[in-house]
Order: sequence, then structure tokens, then C-alpha cells
Amino acid sequence: MKLRLSPQPLEWIDRKNPLTFTFEGKEVTGFAGDVASSALWSEGSKVLGRSFKYHRRRGLLSFANHDVNALFQAPDMPNVRGDVTPVQEGQMFTAVNTFGSLASDKGSLVELIGKFLPVGFYYRAFYSPKFLFPKWERLIREMAGLGKVDTSWTESRQPKRYRHCDVAIIGAGPSGMAAAIAAAEQGVDVCLIDENPYIGGSLDYQYVNEEALSETRSSLKSTIESMANIQVIASAYVAGYYGDHWLAVNTDQGLIKLSAQSVVVATGVFEQPAVFRNNDLPGVMNASAAQRLMSRYAVAPCKEAVILTANPEGYRAALDMHKNGLVVKAILDTGSTDSEWVEQARQSGIPVFEHATIVEASGRKALQAVTFSVDGVAKQLACDGLLMSVGWAPAGAPLYQAGTKFAYSHTLEQLLPVSLPEGVYACGRINGVFDILDQFKDGEQAGLAAALYMQGKETPELNDYAAQMAHSHPYPIWQHPKGKEFVDFDEDIQFKDLKGAIAQGFDNIELMKRFSTIGMGPSQGKHSNMNGIRILAKLTGKTIDQTGSTTARPMFHPTPVSHLAGMRFRPERLTPMHAFHQSVNACFMEAGNWLRPEYYPSEASREASIAAEVAAVRGSVGLIDVSTLGKLEVFGKDAVELMDRLYTMRMSNMAIGASRYALMVDDSGVVIDDGVAVRYSDEHFYVTTTTSSSDSAYRMIQKKVIEWGLQVTVLNRTGQIGAMNLAGPNSRKILSQLTDLDLSNEGFPYLVMRRAKVAGVDATLIRVGFVGELGYEIHVDSMDALQVWDELMRVGEAFSIKPFGVEAQRMLRLEKGHIIVGQDTDGLTNPFEANMPWSVHFKKPYFLGKPSLMKLKNEQQRILVGFELLSADRNAMPLESNLLIEDGEMIGRVTSIGRSAALGKVIGLAMISIDYSKPDGELHIKLSDGRLVKAKVVKTPFYDPDGLLQKPDEEVHNKEQGAAA
Amino acid sequence: MKFVTCPSLGRRALSEFNYGGRLEREPDQETVSEKEWADYVFYHNGAPKTQIEWWYHRPTGIWFLFERNTLTDRITKVDFANKGISNEA
Amino acid sequence: MPLRLVKYAWKKSEDEPRFFPDEKPLKKAYDVVIIGGGGHGMACAYYLAKEHGITNVAVLEQGYIGGGNTGRNTTIVRSNYLTSEGVKFYDESLKLFEDLSDDFDLNIFYSTRGHFTLAHTDSAMRTMRWRAEVNKHHGIDSEVVDVDTIKKEVPYMDMSCNGQHPVMGALYHAPGSVARHDAVAWGYARGAQMRGVEIHQKTRVTDIKTKGGKVVGVETDRGFIEAKKVVSMVAGSTPRITEMLDIETPIEIFPLQACVTEPVKPFMDTIVVSGSLHVYVSQSSRGELVMGASVDPAELHSTRSTLDFVEGLTDQMMDLFPFTSRLKIMRQWAGMSDITPDFAPIMGKTDVEGFYLDAGWGTWGFKATPVSGKTMAYTVANDMPHELIKPFSLDRYSKFELVGEKGAASVGH
Repeated sequence: MKLRLSPQPLEWIDRKNPLTFTFEGKEVTGFAGDVASSALWSEGSKVLGRSFKYHRRRGLLSFANHDVNALFQAPDMPNVRGDVTPVQEGQMFTAVNTFGSLASDKGSLVELIGKFLPVGFYYRAFYSPKFLFPKWERLIREMAGLGKVDTSWTESRQPKRYRHCDVAIIGAGPSGMAAAIAAAEQGVDVCLIDENPYIGGSLDYQYVNEEALSETRSSLKSTIESMANIQVIASAYVAGYYGDHWLAVNTDQGLIKLSAQSVVVATGVFEQPAVFRNNDLPGVMNASAAQRLMSRYAVAPCKEAVILTANPEGYRAALDMHKNGLVVKAILDTGSTDSEWVEQARQSGIPVFEHATIVEASGRKALQAVTFSVDGVAKQLACDGLLMSVGWAPAGAPLYQAGTKFAYSHTLEQLLPVSLPEGVYACGRINGVFDILDQFKDGEQAGLAAALYMQGKETPELNDYAAQMAHSHPYPIWQHPKGKEFVDFDEDIQFKDLKGAIAQGFDNIELMKRFSTIGMGPSQGKHSNMNGIRILAKLTGKTIDQTGSTTARPMFHPTPVSHLAGMRFRPERLTPMHAFHQSVNACFMEAGNWLRPEYYPSEASREASIAAEVAAVRGSVGLIDVSTLGKLEVFGKDAVELMDRLYTMRMSNMAIGASRYALMVDDSGVVIDDGVAVRYSDEHFYVTTTTSSSDSAYRMIQKKVIEWGLQVTVLNRTGQIGAMNLAGPNSRKILSQLTDLDLSNEGFPYLVMRRAKVAGVDATLIRVGFVGELGYEIHVDSMDALQVWDELMRVGEAFSIKPFGVEAQRMLRLEKGHIIVGQDTDGLTNPFEANMPWSVHFKKPYFLGKPSLMKLKNEQQRILVGFELLSADRNAMPLESNLLIEDGEMIGRVTSIGRSAALGKVIGLAMISIDYSKPDGELHIKLSDGRLVKAKVVKTPFYDPDGLLQKPDEEVHNKEQGAAA
Repeated sequence: MKFVTCPSLGRRALSEFNYGGRLEREPDQETVSEKEWADYVFYHNGAPKTQIEWWYHRPTGIWFLFERNTLTDRITKVDFANKGISNEA
Repeated sequence: MPLRLVKYAWKKSEDEPRFFPDEKPLKKAYDVVIIGGGGHGMACAYYLAKEHGITNVAVLEQGYIGGGNTGRNTTIVRSNYLTSEGVKFYDESLKLFEDLSDDFDLNIFYSTRGHFTLAHTDSAMRTMRWRAEVNKHHGIDSEVVDVDTIKKEVPYMDMSCNGQHPVMGALYHAPGSVARHDAVAWGYARGAQMRGVEIHQKTRVTDIKTKGGKVVGVETDRGFIEAKKVVSMVAGSTPRITEMLDIETPIEIFPLQACVTEPVKPFMDTIVVSGSLHVYVSQSSRGELVMGASVDPAELHSTRSTLDFVEGLTDQMMDLFPFTSRLKIMRQWAGMSDITPDFAPIMGKTDVEGFYLDAGWGTWGFKATPVSGKTMAYTVANDMPHELIKPFSLDRYSKFELVGEKGAASVGH
């Protein structure tokens, strides 16, 4: 192992536990605790990936969960991040987005034509001539994307967890740890979240060799471990702050939805690369990346290093290298840092060049030399590592998402939070605090304040511990005549690209981003946005604050779909008779959340089975499960008033024991629901709604009860009551065997409700006529429904009873011309258009939507009519939604259609222009293939127009009742 | 996700609620003109403001009235929706 | 290698003509002030200049060009609407889109991918057929297809939808396309500017002044500007503008959210929409899956993101594409949708003389960009609504003459 160091004091690897995985088909050995990048690097593999556009070789850059050039393909996962993914025995990785292999990537030919591909080149070409664009596009799509998806991957879902805490602290570095302890000392419940497997943060990688801190370190860690009210959530990051201190915390085991009372953001800063020629050569990396590599994984970043620095942190990194016996050939200080640091470096034998500028990095496949200049004199040093320590940008995503404003500090040359939302605190380096002892203090005060805030106590004034000198270079960009100074490593954006974008007028930060795509790659600009802003500010002569920054939206890191989705919880409702339906192999359909029998396969085909069910109802008797209907009970002093107000028909004049069709419209007069209402007593009604609107209707009615100030109670009994409709000429004969109720016309007339025992069970029976035969809707307690159903089936056997499904019912009701709300009506249909003027009782002083209906009544333009097909051609059967055409214009559409066995013809309903609605008028239906078939308008009901069958032996009732269902 | 503290329910996730529109007073159907009615049904000032809104808590079936700002999304007051509320609006 | 790129290679970027000219100082007066520098505003300015010779025009934008819903939508273009009014209008838009790259001398990446709107219930199938029939009647390439056809085009989709609400069929709209949304705004902006229109970014309109019921100008944070004609094309900010004139509209603002995955090699060539699952998805030429859902449940003037959205979307998406569970969501964002009760826009003149409104775009604004610009330019130039937008007048609601787009109650992307 070429670059593995001797044991480090705080290393994460388990040297007793070596393991092997493959990368690009070659075996790599590492230790448990290694991430893929550290294991590869330890073996001297410095090319970890290819860049997105030019396919340049790339190595480590930030080593902080946004090294998107070290993105790997696993057999079961695209875009695996090498810098954070722990290696496992036998894993197989390849580099993403290479054409050939990582070593020999034909995609790198793109770089040869790089000069032909200026920023936004794709806006400039490929579109003319138009017919060639798809070809070019195919090529562009070929080059696009990173990892590969295997569409045969199976679904993976991770359960989510919920957690409530008092104070959530994001980041367990020095200030975060101090904050956790300070908050916990107040006795509150603290969650300390860190994306690394261990707490410690920069205290452990930047100060690993600082003897003076080792006691503090162990004391902090042991205190945190010992405090029962601190929960450390490690290997976890806050994907998003979603308002009201609601955090989406992503862990390897899934998402934790964490609701906190206050939040401390101690996320620290992202180290920013310097921008100079060939700054992307493998071996050039951030100094903090090198420190993490050494302290966590005991891997040397290189053997001979040059350090480019603008702050003390760079010197620290140089000394860490030195301590590990690695050669530091020189420190290139872009200015002149505190002489103490210079002194220390020189004492260790490291040459320091002050006021140095970097010229370029060079090397064939990886870094081999660095050229710099001091006082105008260029020098070159051979080296295999260049560590950049030129500045920091806030890891501010949670703060931005919480609504924090940032402003640029010229003292620090860094963006700092300036106004924090209530209950949100920041501490540590994100606050500009760079002195380690100050970081503890800043953390302590933030933790304390967060704990006091959530307890509703007064919070103390916060001290400003921000450093008084810059830790960032104000403009760490060094142009080279030959270019190749990379700003964004995800998107291969060079300095010249930004310059070009700005020159062309994309000189607003957002426009520059959108045109150049800077910051739009998988790292979302963590290493590039700040330099982009600096470049834009410089080239437009504005300040950083004037230039502004882009928003940091969720996700903080790309977050697995499997975690965000969690388990699949989709309700499914079954009726009380489901066991029966299953036992006879019913074919089910979904109606909202319900499963309903569409038909019962009794014949060879679906059509024949449905026809048999229809025939049974018309010829003898059938039974349908209508338990999915919404069922509401309405009772109280103002029950009558409510019913009158809710429905278009008058309900107050219903006799006790009567039933009535109930049609509901909204404020604008549009039909939204229908059902049947029955009156149990003066102040007690029972009403059904359509299957799909039971919840919304109930909700709406409750709201209206409040609005209207009525003394009435509404109960949603949908799930408590099972219902079935026994229909057909023989229905009475069957029912009479199961009840003592007088079923004679006199004892139980049409449209009347009775309460009685059926099969020994308390039932509400309604004589209804939806399907146009003598029929009884039977409502019983859900627990008893199956028993009643089974009894009806048993007794019905002698009459060849058939259970019938939704399809048969559709045909049966169509023969009667009854509408289905939502099928024969659309989002704008009013009752007049639905051809139900009888259902609107304007004489009532008030009902929902009345003023709208009064207006709409006089402006009717279309109407639902019945039609029959004149053509007998079985191959020219229109479908629902086929259009009606006159003189080449659309005049309407078919809403329902079916072949009526009882009538021997095809009948249907159509919503058409009122101009064409006269009875016997000829209509032309356009089939889906364009052919026109003839039909004519006919009156409804098609079948048994006088309603004699649903009330045998009775006088014909008035029209209102006849049309009620 | 947001949270709201309701009388008798305490702190609940807003995702447990259904939005029921803003509280508005329906004009008197007996005397309303066509224009006034159309204004009530369709037209309004949709600019950002603090308004009283209907919110329905699904698990308990309770309607609440929230005072909410449609710009900041801040809920400043929560009450049970009391009977006859629209007459007072 | 296209010649264009060779040509560009020999130029220095400094020589490149500025895409957007340097900003000029605000003039005291313009013939027309357009509020809103998104796609619609830019398109209106472009057609005013190009087709009506009206060039003394200022577009005032409070943020940056295309920074509102133009840059936040999921870039789908289609014309398979439900009503004749909708179909004719969007068909014109689609035709204009097809030629924009040439018109602009700028590639807007107008890419025809085919658009499936899935049906999971028989009532959805009826709606799909209704749309298909209306579309075909108007000569739009649109048809109902069965499961086998969908399987052929999108073989990796789970038709069983995890066992609940399986796919029964779809409305297939072959011309359904995607385009680079920003480029559409940029192209119109450049074209308008080349013809003399001024674009002023970071210029916020704070009031609209009238005299005797006529518009006389706008107050801005940079001072007063005289104008006899003012056009509001601000989508999610519409109620804030109409409030200045005490104009009431049926518009309510709801956030509409979207998200993208990390880029992966393109595998999805078509656009897939499921109204029942509230999912629509396409894959961009960068390799990201671009996904959206329906609007947020409550009125809100904000572009904040929610966790509920991304949780719901990912959950439902997996019903169709189980393998996407291995992908990662990279970024989410939101726009502000200006929703009308009949899911159709509000366009044309208003009761205030000289004030024109282009609003109510809900979730369909991007696809209407060219045609709304063109028809609004006509309307402003002639002070008379263009034939195509007559059904979309603001006063239609008072007459209860709503447009029937709502019949297709599904996500409209």
C-alpha cells in the first residue's frame, strides 16, 4: 500500500479487518472503515473518475461528500460517492460516464474540440436545419448523464422514523459539540446530527496534532456520551429545513423526520478550491481534504507536496504533512500570514514563499509539478500533491432554507449570517469564528440560547466571536493565457466560460448560473458557487452583496428516492360482502379506495357475463352490493333546514318514511353529488352520497352546518353500514321469506322507506327504482351485512338469483335514463343541462347554489339527451366520449352508451347543444376512426317509460317521483 | 411541513388538515343581485394578506379557523369553527 | 461538427455580440409598458415590435429575465386539451414553438418526445378519449392507446402500478415536447431588444396610475413612467398587480413544486403523466429526471419547498418506475401558479382602459408562451382581443360562461 501511513491517533479504519473490492475490474484492498476513495488513494490510484464534459482525469478534490468526479457505478446503484461510501467486501465499482474505461476514455476526445464548444455552445448550433436536430440531440443525450440506470432494478423502500426533540444541533464539530453540551445542561432533549460516522468534525482533522486540545477533545466526547439527554445521530445529514424547525434527516437506515423546538446550525464551511490552470489534475486538492485523508484514513495525500495558502489553516496542513514524514516542498503564501506560522513552518524546514502567485499545475495523468511566481519570477517545483487552502464558504443550506439573510464580511472575506429567524442559531466557522477556543464559546452560547428559547425563557445577548482577519482569499482566481482554470468541477466550467457568459449579458448571478450551468451539477455548487460569485462581482465591478447569491434549496446532498418515499401506505377498502365476491371469483374494479365487483364471471366472456346479470335482473332477480355508497345520518332540531339547504329539491315536505332523490350543486351551480334521502322522523334523515364523494361531501356538510349555525348532527356511517339492492320482478317474493314486513304495495309503496328485521337483522329498506325494476335497497349494520346477503342469495336460488356488478347496473340504469354524476356530467354541468329541471325547487327560500341556478336556467346551451343508434352495424359501435358532429362542428359527446338486450338496440346519453335536442332529431356520432354513424334523439327512460315495472300494480306517479332513483 | 397548535388537540402536523378555503360571508340569496353573486362565487382580491381560513382536521373531524398570512404562511390564531361563524365574518 | 461552432471557435468571447445589451436608463415615457420579464412578457414585446411595429416598449422585471415561472416549470409543451378553445390556442402555440430556434437564431432545444397521459380508471379512460376525440377533430395528433402500445414505448414502466390502480390505457400525444425554458425567454428578450424594446431588470412596479378610468403610467422603485398601455404578464404575482387597480379576479395563487434527480444516462425518451398518481416525469438532455405533481393544497404566495411534496411524489412515482428508488433527488423548487376556477387563462382587455391582463396560467403557462405573446401583442396593438383569446375574457365568469377545461380533471402538464 503505497500511501498508507502509520497509525494515526484518531483514525477510523480497522487495520485488523482488511477487505477487498474491485474498481474498474481491478482488485483494491482497504480496511473496514475506509471509503472507496481513501482505499483507492492508499494504493496510489489517483484517477478516480472522468470529468463530465471533457472527460479529464480527476482525483480527490474536497473529500467532503461532494467529490462528484469520484462518482462510481455499482451493480445496483448509480452515482455512488467515493468520498463517503464505506467499502464493503466484494463490492464492484466502475467509474461513471466513461466511453471505454476510466484509463482509456474515448470521451476525452471532446477536449480536443473543446475550443469549438464555448459556454452555451448548444444554444448556438444544431438547430438548423431543423430536421437534423434529432440526430444531434441523440448525440447530446448519449454524452449526457452520469451513472447508468438498470430498469430491472426492483423497488426498494426504507421505513421512515419520527423523532421529536427540544434542540436539534446540525454538525458535531467543535462548536456543535459545545452547543450540544450547553443545551443539554439546561435539561432539554438534544439531537446532535453529523454526517460523519463519528463526532468531532474539524477538531479531529484540523487539530489532530494539537496536543493542547487532546484533553478538551476527550472531555467533550465523553460528556456527550455520558449525557442521557443528548442523542447523537451520526452518518446523517439534514437534507432540508422545512419550516417550523422541521428537519428531514437522512441516514443510511432511512429518513428521520425530526421536529425540533429550536435549531443550532453548526455546519461549518466548505473549503473552496483555487482557480488556476490545470487545477483539476489528480493530486491537486483542498488542504482540508488532505487533512481528512490523513487523520481519518491514515492515507497520505501525496509524497511531495506544495501548499498554496491564504490562511493559517494551510500552514497547519503543511505541518500535519511534515509530522507524517511527508515532504513539503514549499508553502506558497498568496499574501503574508502571521509571522508565527511562517516561523513554525521554517523551523520544520519548509520553505515559505510569501506574496506568491500560482501559475499552473502540470503533469500528464496526474500532478507532476507546480509553477508559481514570486516577484515576477517564475519557479517550478516537482511534486505529486498540491494542497489548496485559499478560503471557505458557508455550508449554509439549513440557514438559507430557514430564511436567514447573509451578508459579505470584508474582514473575513466570507458570507456570514446576519439575521436569523426565530429559534434558529448559528455557531462556529459558519459564523466566521476560526479560533478553536472561540468556537467552543460560540457553540456554548448558541446551545444555551437555543435551550432557553425553546423553554420560553429570555435569551442572553450573543457575543461576536468572529475572527478579525480574513481566512479566505478575496479572489483566489489566477488566470492563465492558455486557460483550463476550472471553477466548477461537476460541470467542467472554466473561467473563460463564466467570462463569456458575463460578456454576453448573462451578468446576473441567476442568469449566469442558468446559462453556464455553474452550480447545477450534483454538488450543487458547494465548491464552485462562491468562486462564481467572486468572478461575476469582479468582472462587473460590483460588490459581493450587490452580486447576490443563489438559493440553497433542498436537498443538501442528493437523497435516495427510497428514503424519501418510505413505505407504501395506500388505503384499500373492502365491503362487508367482499368474502362472498371473492368466493365466486368476482372481477373487481377500483372505485376510489374501494374494491367493487365489476361483474361476476358466469359466462365465457365478460360481455356475456354482464348480459346474463342484466337478464337476471330484468327477468327474475339480482343482487348488487352498494356498500360503497356514502351514508350519512342527519339528526337534530335543524335537520330539515339543513336538508333543504343542501339539496336542490325540497326535503322539508317529505313524509316520515318517504325517500327522495337528493341532488347537490356547488356555489356555481355545478352538479357535485347525488344520492337518496330518507326521513326517519321529523328531525332525523338518512342520506346516501356517491362512492367517490363520501368523504368530501361529509366534510363539506359539516362545514355548512357550522356556517349556517344549525342545531344538527351529521354522522358519516359509510363504513358502519353495509347496503345491497335486491332488484327484479321476483325480489318481493324473496324478501317476503326473510321479513315479517308487509311488502304489499299498500304496506310498502314505491319510494318509501321501512325499518324492519330482514333475516333476523335490523334493516332499513328503501323501495327504489334505479335499475327500473321492483327493488329494495337494504341497509344493515356492516357486521350483519354478509349474513343478510347470504340469506338473500340462499332464498333467491329458487329464482335463479344472480349477483350483479357495476357494469350490469350501468346498463340497467342507462335503460332507465338515469345519470351517473361524473360520467354523464362534467366539471361544469348544471341540473338543467343534466335534463333534470324537476330536481330544482326554486320556491325554497335558500339552497346551495340557488342564485347561480336561477341565472343558468335561462342560459342553457346544452342538454343531456337520450339517443338510439340507427345503424345496426355491429362494427360501428360508438364509444363513450365519441363526438357528435353537425356540419363539421362538434355539437356534443356521448356520455353513456350500451347495447340494450331488453330493447334490442344500442342506446345512450349524449350531452349536446340544445339546438339539436328535439326528439327524433337525427344525430351523427363520429367514431374514433372518423366514420360517422347515425342516431336519433329519443325520450328517456328508454325502457319502461312509464315506470310500471318498478311499481307493479300501482298507478303511475307524477314525473318527479318517476325520475327519482 | 408545518405545525399548528390547536385548542384541545395541541401541536399537530399541518398535513393532517384539509384546506377549506377562506372564510367569506355568503350574500343574502333573497336580495343578492346577479353581479354581487358572481363576485361572491368567482371574483376576489387574491393578493397576499392575512385571512381567516377553514381547515379540517381529518383524524378528529373538527373544523378549525386559522388566521393565516398567505405571504409568510404564518398561522397567528387558531379557533374552533363555531356555529354561525359566517354571519359574523 | 456544425459550422456554427467552428465559426465561434475563432472568435473571442469578448467579440461575441452581447446577448442582452447593456441596460439603458429608464425613459420618462413609453407607448407600452409590459410588467413581467418572463417568457410571456418577452414574447409580447417581441411580437409587438416584430408584427406591429411598436418598439417604444419597456419590459419591467422585478427580478431577472425568466426568473419566475418561466424558469421553474417542467418545460412540457403539448396541445391535447379538452375544449375547442384550448386546442386551437395551444395548437397555435405548438406551431410557433417549432420554429422558434430559427426565428431566434438560438437553439431552444425543442425536442419532440411524445406525451403519455396515463389512465388508471375507466372514468379517466373516458376523459382521455374525450380529449383524443376533440383533438383529432381539430387535426391534433392525439389518440387513446392501450396497455400494449404503452409497453412498447415505455417498456420499463410497471403497468400494474404495484397492484393498485393499474394502468388501463393512455392518451398519447406524439407532438408532446420539451424545450429549454430559459432559452425561450432569452430568445424572445434578445429578439425584442434587437428591435428596440428596452428590458429593465430589477425594476419593480409599485403602483399603476389612472386618470378618468384610463391608464396613464406606472410607478416603479426607479420612478414614475408614463404609458397609455400597460400589460400585466406576471402569473403568480397577478393579484398584487390587479390589486393596484382594484380589479378583482377569480385567480388564487397556489405553489406548484417540482424536483430533479441526479443526472443519469438518458433512458427515458417520452414524457409520462399520471393524473391519478399526481406524477409527471421526463428526462432532460442533462440526464436529470424532471418531475412534478399537482399544486399545493392551500393558497400561498411563496416558492418555498415542502417535504410532503417530495415524499408524496417519490412514493407515487415508484408505482410506475420501481427502479427509480435507486436514484437520488438532487434539488426541489417551486413556482407560484395563478389558478382559475375553470383551468383556463384570463386574457385580454379589462374595465380599466389601457390595462391588459394575461394571467390565470395555472400549470400551463410555459406551453402558451409564444401564442400568448402573439395574441396579447395583437390585442394591445389593436385594442381589441385577438380571435383566439376571446373565450378567455375576465368577465366570462360574471356571465357564467366558463371554459370547459375543468372537465379533464387531472394534472394538466
